[in-house]
Amino acid sequence: MSTTPLRLPLGVTRAGEGRVVAGVCAGLGARGRTDATFVRLVFVLLSFAAGAGIVAYLALWALLPGEPAAPVPRKRRVVGVVLLLVAAQIALHGLGLGNSLVWPLLLASLGYVVWTYGEELGMRPRARRVSAGALTVFALLGFVGTNTRGTASTLLAPGAIAIAILIVLLPWALRLVRERDAERDARVRVEERADLAARVHDSVLQTLALIQREADPRRIQTLARRQERELRAWIYPEREPAAAGTLADAIETAAAEIEELHGVRVEVVRTGDAPADERVRELVLAAREAMANAAKHSGAEEVSVFVDASPERVAVFVRDRGAGFDPEAVPADRRGIAHSIRERMERVDGTATISSTPGAGTEVELSL
Amino acid sequence: MSRPLRRVVLVDDHDLFRAGVRSQLGAGVEVVGEAGSVADAVPLIKELDPDVVLLDVHLPDGGGQAVIVQVAPERPGVHFLALSVSDAAEDVIGVIRAGARGYVTKTISGEELTEAIHRTADGDAVFSPRLAGFVLDAFRGGEVTGSGDPELDQLTAREREVLQLIARGYRYKEIAARLHLSSRTVESHVSAVLRKLQLSSRHELTRWAAERRLI
Repeated sequence: MSTTPLRLPLGVTRAGEGRVVAGVCAGLGARGRTDATFVRLVFVLLSFAAGAGIVAYLALWALLPGEPAAPVPRKRRVVGVVLLLVAAQIALHGLGLGNSLVWPLLLASLGYVVWTYGEELGMRPRARRVSAGALTVFALLGFVGTNTRGTASTLLAPGAIAIAILIVLLPWALRLVRERDAERDARVRVEERADLAARVHDSVLQTLALIQREADPRRIQTLARRQERELRAWIYPEREPAAAGTLADAIETAAAEIEELHGVRVEVVRTGDAPADERVRELVLAAREAMANAAKHSGAEEVSVFVDASPERVAVFVRDRGAGFDPEAVPADRRGIAHSIRERMERVDGTATISSTPGAGTEVELSL
Repeated sequence: MSRPLRRVVLVDDHDLFRAGVRSQLGAGVEVVGEAGSVADAVPLIKELDPDVVLLDVHLPDGGGQAVIVQVAPERPGVHFLALSVSDAAEDVIGVIRAGARGYVTKTISGEELTEAIHRTADGDAVFSPRLAGFVLDAFRGGEVTGSGDPELDQLTAREREVLQLIARGYRYKEIAARLHLSSRTVESHVSAVLRKLQLSSRHELTRWAAERRLI
């Protein structure tokens, strides 16, 4: 669900600065880079066309988001409101409505104006409330009084009242909705911030504190790498699928464990992925063993792991650029490679190829 | 082997990281300028006209791509090498498609980075294992848009082989020895892959590019 408040495109807002009534004309003028007075003139002229200008003004008042209102000189404001009311009356006459409808509506809108702007016009809150209420009651009474005498207009009365109420209430309701959205946005932002702060505190700040006290560079590197992994998993969650248990995930996890245990960097590159079935799990264990061997015996600072998975074939390469060894010369009691890697792969109908050159490093290729 | 001195501009928004890179760079590389944002980098690079720009993929005001897009048309002699901790394939591919000659991760050693700078300055492509992985992913399978040039939309078997070895952690020389090729041939394969990466209209690449507003 979107929490964006109702907003018209084009970036038109009701102006806070330079407004007379609600800032509609000033806002349009600012947006269109024309003089506000010219815009006002257009609205006035439009008002003679069956009141279109008034209707448009009220509609825009309700729909356009407002800027923070700058105080309007009181004299200007009162003149503006009075002119607007006169215009409304002219328009209503133009629409062919008799006095019986015009005056109650006028009273009602005056009540609305007093209610909304009384404070800005310098009225005390109480005086504002009382006069707004009185004006509205007068309007209703006048309306009912003048209209119950006729017969045709009796039918019109409830509808007219409903419309009047709607006109009065709509901007207010819209403003409420907008305020609520703004409040919710603010709350969401606060929550996000708190969440971020908690996370940073639990992970990054803790690690930094540990690093500052640590003297062993290997340990520092391990701490930093673990932190990097954690942050990465958080920032790029799409790379760590929720349903853990694919080949690439298992390899990444194994790589992280080896890094922690032995303090070397294990760089994993992956292309494609495969679900972790029984055979893949064995392959991961074999790969983990190969990583551990590289970390323990090669003396290299970095181990490269490449996961290449396609529907036809799954292959994992573990490579280091360390001491290397002569595969023929491994004593029989050093069973790590033979047992854990070769036999594991044979059990699941896979292959393990170990190539190593003394002085140039080792590569273990495991495939299914 | 004596190589010409390479003039390098470092663009990264972290002072500490720039200091670290500067202290690690080896012989034959001189840092002539540094910038921490797109707005600073563009005029600086145009003024200094360096051989190589080491460019962070992520910058606060637009990213490495923005720098390349604004500089490359006016300074065709400047080569860009992207440098990032980012793991997101689309960011990396985006910078390459904007014109970077390669991508290396920030965990690279000083020695390898120096080598990569020399290679970039020579106009060659620099593929880290991670980039090779991204490219293999992007060119995987048969999903090819009809409109494109089929030559550009596929990798040859040899190119694929070379990329796989890069992803496995092999260096160009080791690849050459293993495949019984000359180093020059390996380099030309890698450059061909870079060209395909930049020009191909393959579905995945186009989508990435479109998302990053490159086309």
